[in-house]
Amino acid sequence: MENGSLPTNGTAPVQVKAGRHREASLYHALAGAGAGDGRTLAQLREAALVAYEAAELPVWRRSGFWSTSLQSLDLDALASSMEERGVPDVVTRTLPEGPRAGRIVQSAGAVVQVQLDEALAERGVILCSLEQAFEQHGELVSEWYCKRLPIDRHKLEAANAAFWTGGAFLYVPAGVVVEEPFEIVYAIDRQGVAQYGRTLVLGAPTSDFRVHEYDVAENFQGQALHAGAFECYLQDGARCRVAQFQDWGRGEVFDVSTRLVGVGRDAYCHWLPALLGGHLVRQHLELAVMEKGGDMAFRGLFFAEEHEHLDVFAVDLHETGPSGGDVHWRGAATGESRASFEGLIQIDPGAQQTHTYLQIHSMMLSPKARIDAIPSVLVSADDVSASHGGTVGELDETAIFYMQTRGLDRPAAVRVIVEGFFEPLVAELQDEALEELVRATVDRKLAAAREDIEAYATSR
Amino acid sequence: MADLEIKDLHVRIEEREILRGVDLEINRGEIHALMGPNGSGKSTLANTLLGHPSYEVTQGSIVFKGEDLTEAEPHDRAKAGLFLAFQYPVSIPGVSVANFLRMAINAKRDEPIQVKEFRTQLQHAIELLDVDKAFTSRHLNDGFSGGEKKRAEILQMAMLAPDVAILDETDSGLDIDALRTVAEGVQRLHDEQGLGALIITHYQRILHYVKPEFVHILMDGKIVLEGGVELVERLEREGYDQIRQEVGAGVAGVVAAGDSGV
Repeated sequence: MENGSLPTNGTAPVQVKAGRHREASLYHALAGAGAGDGRTLAQLREAALVAYEAAELPVWRRSGFWSTSLQSLDLDALASSMEERGVPDVVTRTLPEGPRAGRIVQSAGAVVQVQLDEALAERGVILCSLEQAFEQHGELVSEWYCKRLPIDRHKLEAANAAFWTGGAFLYVPAGVVVEEPFEIVYAIDRQGVAQYGRTLVLGAPTSDFRVHEYDVAENFQGQALHAGAFECYLQDGARCRVAQFQDWGRGEVFDVSTRLVGVGRDAYCHWLPALLGGHLVRQHLELAVMEKGGDMAFRGLFFAEEHEHLDVFAVDLHETGPSGGDVHWRGAATGESRASFEGLIQIDPGAQQTHTYLQIHSMMLSPKARIDAIPSVLVSADDVSASHGGTVGELDETAIFYMQTRGLDRPAAVRVIVEGFFEPLVAELQDEALEELVRATVDRKLAAAREDIEAYATSR
Repeated sequence: MADLEIKDLHVRIEEREILRGVDLEINRGEIHALMGPNGSGKSTLANTLLGHPSYEVTQGSIVFKGEDLTEAEPHDRAKAGLFLAFQYPVSIPGVSVANFLRMAINAKRDEPIQVKEFRTQLQHAIELLDVDKAFTSRHLNDGFSGGEKKRAEILQMAMLAPDVAILDETDSGLDIDALRTVAEGVQRLHDEQGLGALIITHYQRILHYVKPEFVHILMDGKIVLEGGVELVERLEREGYDQIRQEVGAGVAGVVAAGDSGV
């Protein structure tokens, strides 16, 4: 897949020079591996299995001094358990109580709860496990399953495509407008679990809805894996807000996921992953405007702490124009955590009149924490505007003093600064309960890093 | 004993001594003006009184309501009832004026302030400072004009109701309307709440709107002259150079003339 050519509209593929340091320079848009070539689910699983067996655990080289390596994952010791153990405590503990359109919960390898508003079900909304969807809505699902997601770029992507169980399928029929969120939950309840989460979301023409994904785990000791694949396709005029709350807890959870949202004609997506914890997290996120008039806001925030390792590759892809894009990410790091955020704007040949902007802001809260933010722009059309910007910040001592003179103690002032740093994005969640959850999680992590932050301040 | 007693204050920043023995006493309900040319140490005094970590007190003391605050943390000074209106207020992106005020008020209290009580206080302060309500939902000082920033400072002061406020060149950079609003705000807080204030300024014009009872002139890190409001008029006529000549060129070692009626 790495050597495939870019989708073209009759013009020559753009020449991309391969470089060692930037993923973007090697990058090509995720090509369809599934429905497009007519293979059945069984055939796809089989092809993925072959790729799985042939591949070693992946290593993504970032630059001369660091890489994302899965070498420390003891994959053989993990099992994709199908045992039904009910809804884990962490789900009840974490998820907001607020009103919802429906909820599907997968714990380890099994779907343990499915709930859908009856009135919505009557109007044709489908929310069920992906397994069940293949059985009951085979034609619809097969048309979209793996339409854009590859199955064989690395061992864990192949593992997901070969071994997934449970899974989530959401279908919102044409014209159906739903205010409350559909909740899709992946929970890991104990160590030793390999969870292959697979989500397919379809928004039929002019549908309008929200998806909230929660990725949570109990605070166990030992390793676990979430290898996720998420695809969401929005057809003509559909509008969707996708939010993801991810906090894998205190265990040694590896999360290697590929996620794609495809925006159809005149459709709109607001996508906001909040990546708030995980031992080693690697996310390939792609928001693709596939047809004319598509528009998107690609947001994201992350907070890495202790020894966490976070590697995000986020792509703002425009295949046709006119289209719009707006990418805005913010991240903070404490402890000895490492975060790499690579943001890419890719405008394909023929995507004329595309206007997009990428900004990345990062804040270092500890002397040993590190965030690398790498913006890239690949433009193969001439009537477009695409630019990027960003900031790298530390705690502003003047701002802290300012707040102290108003009576806030130092930790409170730090909290205000960091909350304020994330707030423009948190407020965009437009869901009070979820906003509160994100704020509270950031607060908790800040409180845990208090000594670290203090030491940093006094060392400067 | 005065509410705020500054005794023989020596302050250093990065090996350079800026304040070289400042004595000052301020009570609730008194308005003081501290004037001086650029570089005389005015802002150093303001920052030191609130405990800015870059300023090192090498000698002397700051006692507030009987409590020695010389080494106290800035937030403890704020809780004790001191306030500093900044010369260059800092922007706090992502935090609305109203939310920040609520946090600051709650930091001083055991129980969080009731929503209704907070609204009433905020409404009162908004009217006092002649700002519209939308102002309080904007992010604090973020993208504010110079005048808005200074209004926001006085708004915070009104809400936090300190015993003694230090206003560090609050008048600088303001047009006459903003200056009048800010100055009248200070005067009303003095009249209504018994605020004590130390108005630090390079110019005289704010003192046309707020009437100080006590005027101190700071030069080269020392208060060289003290008196009443007539000192402002004299300064207006004669300028700092004249006063400098009178109290002694180079000033070193020269202590204030004038009465010690502070």
